Amino acid sequence: MAEKAILYDASKCTACRGCQIACKEWNQLPGEKTTNRGTIENPPDLSPNTWLKMRFIEVGDDGDFRWLFGRQSCMHCTEAGCVEVCPTKALYYHDMGFVAYDKDKCSGCGYCVAACPFNVPRPSGSPIGIRHTTKCTMCQDRVVEGDLPACVKTCLSGALQFGDRSEMLALGKARVSALKSKSPKANLYGENELGGLHVLYVLEDEPSVYGLPVDPKITVAATAWQDVIRPLGWAVAGAAVLGLGLNYIIAKRKIQLKSKGE
Amino acid sequence: MTTSAKAKPGSTPASEVIFGPKPGSGEKVLTRYSKQVRILHWVTAITWTILFITGLILFVPAFSGAAEGSITTLLHHWAAIIVCVWAGVFFVLNPKGSMEGIKFAFKWGKDDIGWAKAAVGYYFFGKEDKMPPQDHMNTGQKMWWVLVLGAGALMVITGIIMMFFKTSGAFMWAGTFHALGMVVLLAMALVHVYLSVFHPKMRGIFWSMVNGKVSAHYAESHHKKWYDEVTKHKK
Repeated sequence: MAEKAILYDASKCTACRGCQIACKEWNQLPGEKTTNRGTIENPPDLSPNTWLKMRFIEVGDDGDFRWLFGRQSCMHCTEAGCVEVCPTKALYYHDMGFVAYDKDKCSGCGYCVAACPFNVPRPSGSPIGIRHTTKCTMCQDRVVEGDLPACVKTCLSGALQFGDRSEMLALGKARVSALKSKSPKANLYGENELGGLHVLYVLEDEPSVYGLPVDPKITVAATAWQDVIRPLGWAVAGAAVLGLGLNYIIAKRKIQLKSKGE
Repeated sequence: MTTSAKAKPGSTPASEVIFGPKPGSGEKVLTRYSKQVRILHWVTAITWTILFITGLILFVPAFSGAAEGSITTLLHHWAAIIVCVWAGVFFVLNPKGSMEGIKFAFKWGKDDIGWAKAAVGYYFFGKEDKMPPQDHMNTGQKMWWVLVLGAGALMVITGIIMMFFKTSGAFMWAGTFHALGMVVLLAMALVHVYLSVFHPKMRGIFWSMVNGKVSAHYAESHHKKWYDEVTKHKK
């Protein structure tokens, strides 16, 4: 199956937040009560009930002021930290390239939360109750049926597009070169990051301005418990069992012989 | 411990087949563990077993399916809460005894070096002549006790980070050390269970954690210093 991708063109985005609402509607996520923080950016952060959130970024000062719009949601990495650490394989790579998610399998351990370089997955529930982790599923239930993700479907300005990843890459690159004359820092984010993201961003400024990691990486700490401590654990446990078994065999004979000799 | 089952001559109750013989009825016994200590031990034993199992299934890919649906995570969290609260209650009820017990773990002397030198001969071949007299806890038990306190504290601290601060940058390192602590504790817990239930020289000592009593003979041969101390007090 051809790899699919979402292309988000920040230069076309009007920040209407229709995508945020469509995401909540399709995935049946309730709204959240928030307080006015002096910005239209709302809710303040991703949460178990908010898988997609638009960012409102103010750059510069009087005379040279720009209002940039960004998008925060799962980037559907090819080499995803969350998938690498997930013990129950509730998170997995779908044939269509995105990071799929089976909530019923989730053990609520939270490793994915910390392993994500984009700070996307969010734990639901309380520490003393049943927990699951949640994130954008790229509307798996829609796209496998050939439909568009809810956010793309609702986008009015054409800032969001969905299709074969190669096609989205070509579109994104063409758009970046068209933007260069107006915005010399224009760039396409996601072509090679973490093996290639399945959400591509056309940006008018450096990725860091949009709150994106410049060179996202899966940290050593994220996978150390699997790569180092798991084999070490097998070795230590094996040595313990072997040692104890050996001790039993030897000690039983020697000590019985002794008590007979006495 | 009140056992109604009167052993018929020549037949051993199933519990004694598994856990070793109890001290004989005519044998002189000493009190080794108070009721509160025994309850603390078994609360710890049961909760740690739950913690090991529910933790291990995340660690072993073949079993990880058992963690689906978060039930094991819930058990893990509650077992941790129960053992922490229980240890706290124990400390509040016995502040003096607890402090003495904790201090005991860090009392080391030349007999401990002697123990280390004699340990292989003693535990494998039953050579008793080189083994120096031991206190209420011998050197091996003290090492286990230090580990329970030290690694236990590590597990509590890293566990709290993993439970309440999932989005923090510290989570991953906490998880790494939590896994490392588990490996060490599990290996040593196997040693602990083996020595107290199966080792030919210790066979039957399991019952001291059930009824608190240990035969005077066992006390004298395994914990001479402690034996001298308690029998002196009694006289």
